[in-house]
Amino acid sequence: MKNIRNFSIIAHIDHGKSTLADRMLQRTGAISERDMTNQVLDGMDLERERGITIKASAVSVSHTPATGAGKGTKFQLNFIDTPGHVDFHYEVSRALTACEGAILVVDATQGVEAQTVANAYLAINQNLEIIPVVNKIDLPSARPEEVALEIEQVLGIKAESVIFVSAKTGQGLDELLDAICNRLPPPKDDLAQRTKALIFDSEYDDYRGVVVYFRLFAGRLALGDKIRMMGTGRSYSITEMGKFTPRMTPQKTPFEAGEVGYFSAQIKALDEVNIGDTVTLENAPAPEALPGYREPQRMVFCDFYPVGDTQFDELRDAISRLHLNDASFSYAPTSSEALGFGFRCGFLGMLHMDIIQERLEREGNVGLVQTAPTVTYEILKSDGTVIQITNPADLPDPSQINEIREPLVEVEIITPNEYLGDLMKLCESRRGRYVKQTFLSETRQILEYNLPLAEIIYDFYDKLKSITHGYGTMDYRLTGFNSDDLVKMDILVNGDKVDALSLIVHRARAEQRGRSLLVRLKKEIDRHLFEIPLQAAIGGKVIARETIKSVGKNVTAKCYGGDVSRKRKLLEKQKEGKKRMKRVGTVDIPQQAFMAVLDTGE
Amino acid sequence: MQRPLPQTTLANPESISRIPCLQPSAKTESRSPHALYIHIPFCFHKCHYCDFYSIVDDSPAGDRQEVFTDRLITELRLRAGQMSLRPLTIFIGGGTPTLLRPALWTRLLACLADLGIPDNVREWTVEANPETVTPELMGLLAAGGVNRVSLGAQSFQPELLKTLERWHDPANVARAAAMVRDAGIRNYNLDLIFAIPGQTLETLKADIDAALALEPTHISCYGLTYEPNTAMTKRLELGQFKPMPEETERAMYELVLDKLAAAGFEQYEVSNFGRRAAWRGETPATLTHDESGDTLGGELGAGPAYRCRHNLVYWTNGNWLGVGPSAASHVDGYRWKNQAHLGKYLDSKAEPPIVDLEHLPAERRTGELLMLRLRLRRGAPEAWLRANLGSEDPRWKTIDYLREIGMLEWGEGHLRLTRKGLFVADAVIRELL
Repeated sequence: MKNIRNFSIIAHIDHGKSTLADRMLQRTGAISERDMTNQVLDGMDLERERGITIKASAVSVSHTPATGAGKGTKFQLNFIDTPGHVDFHYEVSRALTACEGAILVVDATQGVEAQTVANAYLAINQNLEIIPVVNKIDLPSARPEEVALEIEQVLGIKAESVIFVSAKTGQGLDELLDAICNRLPPPKDDLAQRTKALIFDSEYDDYRGVVVYFRLFAGRLALGDKIRMMGTGRSYSITEMGKFTPRMTPQKTPFEAGEVGYFSAQIKALDEVNIGDTVTLENAPAPEALPGYREPQRMVFCDFYPVGDTQFDELRDAISRLHLNDASFSYAPTSSEALGFGFRCGFLGMLHMDIIQERLEREGNVGLVQTAPTVTYEILKSDGTVIQITNPADLPDPSQINEIREPLVEVEIITPNEYLGDLMKLCESRRGRYVKQTFLSETRQILEYNLPLAEIIYDFYDKLKSITHGYGTMDYRLTGFNSDDLVKMDILVNGDKVDALSLIVHRARAEQRGRSLLVRLKKEIDRHLFEIPLQAAIGGKVIARETIKSVGKNVTAKCYGGDVSRKRKLLEKQKEGKKRMKRVGTVDIPQQAFMAVLDTGE
Repeated sequence: MQRPLPQTTLANPESISRIPCLQPSAKTESRSPHALYIHIPFCFHKCHYCDFYSIVDDSPAGDRQEVFTDRLITELRLRAGQMSLRPLTIFIGGGTPTLLRPALWTRLLACLADLGIPDNVREWTVEANPETVTPELMGLLAAGGVNRVSLGAQSFQPELLKTLERWHDPANVARAAAMVRDAGIRNYNLDLIFAIPGQTLETLKADIDAALALEPTHISCYGLTYEPNTAMTKRLELGQFKPMPEETERAMYELVLDKLAAAGFEQYEVSNFGRRAAWRGETPATLTHDESGDTLGGELGAGPAYRCRHNLVYWTNGNWLGVGPSAASHVDGYRWKNQAHLGKYLDSKAEPPIVDLEHLPAERRTGELLMLRLRLRRGAPEAWLRANLGSEDPRWKTIDYLREIGMLEWGEGHLRLTRKGLFVADAVIRELL
């Protein structure tokens, strides 16, 4: 037990966390040079393509330090990989719960970023011991000492404790591995207590059924044990258990408190397992469960509807299958007059939404149309009750509404000094309220604003990136709901109200939003055989209009011998393309058109 | 059970072995294709809008006309051995067929006669470039049985011809037409192009008048199409000129329809117009649907007119055989193309290299035939539609809807495009595939 170290690596996206993890696996001999593919822990294609980690992953390796108190002792290192993106705090906090320590990685050229701060605070709040690491010191533009001082300035961790590393060349790696053994605390000695294991992740395997990732906090757990999940009350027998080294390696000897591993127990479906639940022994149950996790906070909602050859049932199957793998998004059946039957889904953030949509199309092989994301609104009704809606179409009749409240977030932006003015302009234009600014170093500042969540869910991050030439970073957290002069705007296409295009906007900005939305719609919707009027309306009152002209001429002049099949194929292909659109009344609306709602007209 | 054919390009010889009508044993049971197409790929210059297969054969080592003619003759003999070859129509196109030297024409015509191929021919067309028409050649063709000529006039405006990179003198069109008539060929077509960059409604009107003054029996009037891989398209992409605004193009097509109708021409296809019956005391023969290979029944036109019977075989999905590089064939539901490569064609021994072999399932054949028939002004016979689209077919709903918005109509027992629908025929037909 005292030779076990459980830790996570936390970092801002792109600061080299996955490379560092890979290099540590290599240095400890867990994987050979030959098996080394980049980013071993990022198992999903999508993760490798986007260069990010989406789900947490756990690996056990061993290391014998050459220095310090632990010199010559063999340590078992269990490390739990975490995602770095702003949307995935939930996954990070889940991973951190299973650890005693964290390695905080900061890029020697980029310095401390918004997510570095956010993730570091997550770790500090859970009383984890932090080892600060400045990575990429091999780069010519590296400024490791400055960055170490930034860490001290912002997080209060002594600059002298920083370890300088190059994951690329391997420099500093042994020092880091030694520090993990010497500086991080061992798990608490709870061997004598009754068995308690935290489920921090799970995945589905075709051969084993559900594979549960656990961290044993107290007692023992062994092959063949009859176990009970304390939250669900379900009982199983462990049929296989082991460690990730990084490949699944079964183990016959019992696990002891402090260890990390996996087990399978003929669990057929992922929804039988709740992440955060506590596993105990059926015959000697623990008196109380571990604290577990908060339900993840879903900030962004959108609908998915089937298109093309995809049926509702197929979409439902694909969504529920994916949900087994990622419980952090929510889904519920919904229907739209314009789009038929579909699902209302909630996400941790915009990237999370993109990833789910892409995985549905890729892994679920379904054709879908996605509506523009919206936030949750709180409605104070005239009868004094408060309801929450996640879809503008669900807004009660205006006569029954006293107040519409929208979620507010506190945004923290870290930026080089020179972009401060433009960033403040951006925040002001999004109905932001200035909170404060703090010096991070001579050249960089932390800027804080309160903003309506609805104003940042779409292109705010992109705008921030472009204003700061990529150097700015942001993080946000929800602070509550705030009442404002919000109204529902409806969009009519060819006279039909398309409920999936309705949106809630601030009254002062409604006309401008309406106009730019219609212009964008006009671009997205192909011309048809007839003229299509587009209108934006509040209540019954039209506040903006546009017209899509009908096709004037579209006829191939020639069609001779060899052209017959070419021509047929061309028309068939065009028709196939239209299948991927959603037909509302007699108008074919492409997927991108539903995102037109988000065009802020800037 | 027949193995399904992939829809992709195949290479010989495996592909040939899958086409029933090209088997040595097939001849006894085979009917003749309705039409024969012969492709002569030579041009003295590549026109910038043209995407037909052609080569400019000006190598100092001497051209390949003679070896080509000999190879064409071996292909004809091969096919005549495989199937009965007594087509009702022959069309010799290119390229520029009239660029073939008279001595080689004599050799080709002799081979056709020797094989008995023209025995049942009613319509035999040769495409001609106005520059290359000579009394000698026309006499030779007429004597060989050719009874229709298609002249590529395109425009009578020198600067528009320059835009198209056509190098003929407009005056040559009239001269060529006279030579055609002097050779005793009364049935001739003029090709015109509209929506050429720089063209106006006035110059188009002048072009149509000039064409009508030459008294053709048939006019093909095409909107300029920017085909992929042509110089014209490249120049467009390079911004050397602007494409015609859609409204102007539409107005031009309207002008073509109105002027030719007023001049006594029947529009029987999107871009094709035949002079109506009783022209100068002659009556054009009608083509029955049996003769075109049309499986739909129904008439191809109201009353006699000088329609191109050969092209009607294409447009009614009849059987035709194509010979020469790039020629397409359609026999008994099999489509294929000779590869568009003169060198490979000449190098091949018995069978020429073929590509794009396909054999469509019935469902898609129905859509294809509907596409072709709706491009004919006559439309698709109602009886055929009812027999081939099941009552549950969603296309019936689409048809109703397209009728509601004025794109399709029922008329004379056919479903056809309205005049309004004609302008957007592709968008209408696409819905019905």
